[in-house]
Amino acid sequence: MNLATRMIVTLTSIGLISGSFLAIVGQVTKERIIFNKKHEIEMAALKVVPGASNVKMIYEERDFAIFEDRDETGNLIGYALQAAGTGFQDKISLGVGVSPDLNTVLSLIIIDQKETPGLGAKITDEISFLQYWKNRDCSKSLILRKPPVDNPNSLAPNEVNAITGATISSQAVLNIVNEAIKKARQLQAEGKLSERH
Amino acid sequence: MAEKTRKQEFFKGLWGENPITRQLLGLCSVLAVSNAVINGLAMGLAVTFVLIFSSLIVSLIRKIVPNQVRIASFIVIIATFVTIADRTLAAYFPHLSKAMGPYVPLIVVNCIILGRAEAFASKNKVSRSVIDALGMSGGYFLTILLMGLIRELLGNRTILGYPILGKWFSPWVVMLLPPGAFIMLGLIIAISNVIDFKIKERQKRV
Repeated sequence: MNLATRMIVTLTSIGLISGSFLAIVGQVTKERIIFNKKHEIEMAALKVVPGASNVKMIYEERDFAIFEDRDETGNLIGYALQAAGTGFQDKISLGVGVSPDLNTVLSLIIIDQKETPGLGAKITDEISFLQYWKNRDCSKSLILRKPPVDNPNSLAPNEVNAITGATISSQAVLNIVNEAIKKARQLQAEGKLSERH
Repeated sequence: MAEKTRKQEFFKGLWGENPITRQLLGLCSVLAVSNAVINGLAMGLAVTFVLIFSSLIVSLIRKIVPNQVRIASFIVIIATFVTIADRTLAAYFPHLSKAMGPYVPLIVVNCIILGRAEAFASKNKVSRSVIDALGMSGGYFLTILLMGLIRELLGNRTILGYPILGKWFSPWVVMLLPPGAFIMLGLIIAISNVIDFKIKERQKRV
């Protein structure tokens, strides 16, 4: 065999063998990877509305989805809004639980973020950020409390704590939440959120 | 140069030819994902897996592959194992996969792996290549783990998420950021140089 054919034969066979190997690995892991992604968002949707036992997606668009949260007896106890927007470094994806009338934020969870470790990444931290998002009045836009206070009770009903040194990340989360609630309200006015039980 | 014993072949990767502190190869991933112990562990394991299997295959086919296409063949082999590692992590350890972001796919261009394939596995017997790969990945693993331990402890007061230092210690946020990685790596290399120098001095006197 001359050199050229040998080169072609070797590279082709290596490519074919690797390709078939990868096809198998891809097949085996594909379903689980899709399941993981879906599961993560659904778990977040369940968690942000306390007492919810099942969720169902009722609306979806790019970077925005609405889930219905129902309790064991099937009563609608809130909506979970999944939304994403620009953070300090990259997209922040979060889930926020709201009451059925869309006037109260029940709680917040961060699904995905790439903020600065030790500063902006604290948006995922329960003690320094998320705990101040419980039961906020969002009938008007939420606003940021700066500098932050220690006791959640000393915040006004429509205020949430900023993180010291990470105002941009805190503000980004706030904007995403406000925007998501506005969108949900619009959809509700158009009658796209089912009120059936 | 006399042929090394298998034991020497293994230990050179841990110290004498440690890929990070001596050869300064594959630093990108070491700097980027050593901000927590768990990330360092996962990255170390992923590199170990890829390095051992690509060295094995490269050594197996070293006599079949024509010299002109060897680099291309090596890269295809390495990329195959990296993709397997990446998909497996994404399927079974989604949290780790997320924390490491693009750095698992980037193992393809990690110089340690192509470097060992080209400099060692393509010229040596299979058993020797695997021992060399084990030593090299061991050296990588230990160094990235050490970086992760120090950076997580000083930057976040924790190790593997468990609080170690009390409230009295104010975390050095810089340790979690890129500058902290460069500072730590510089110190580790400097310290290992000093130790190496002392060892050589002693050997000279004997």
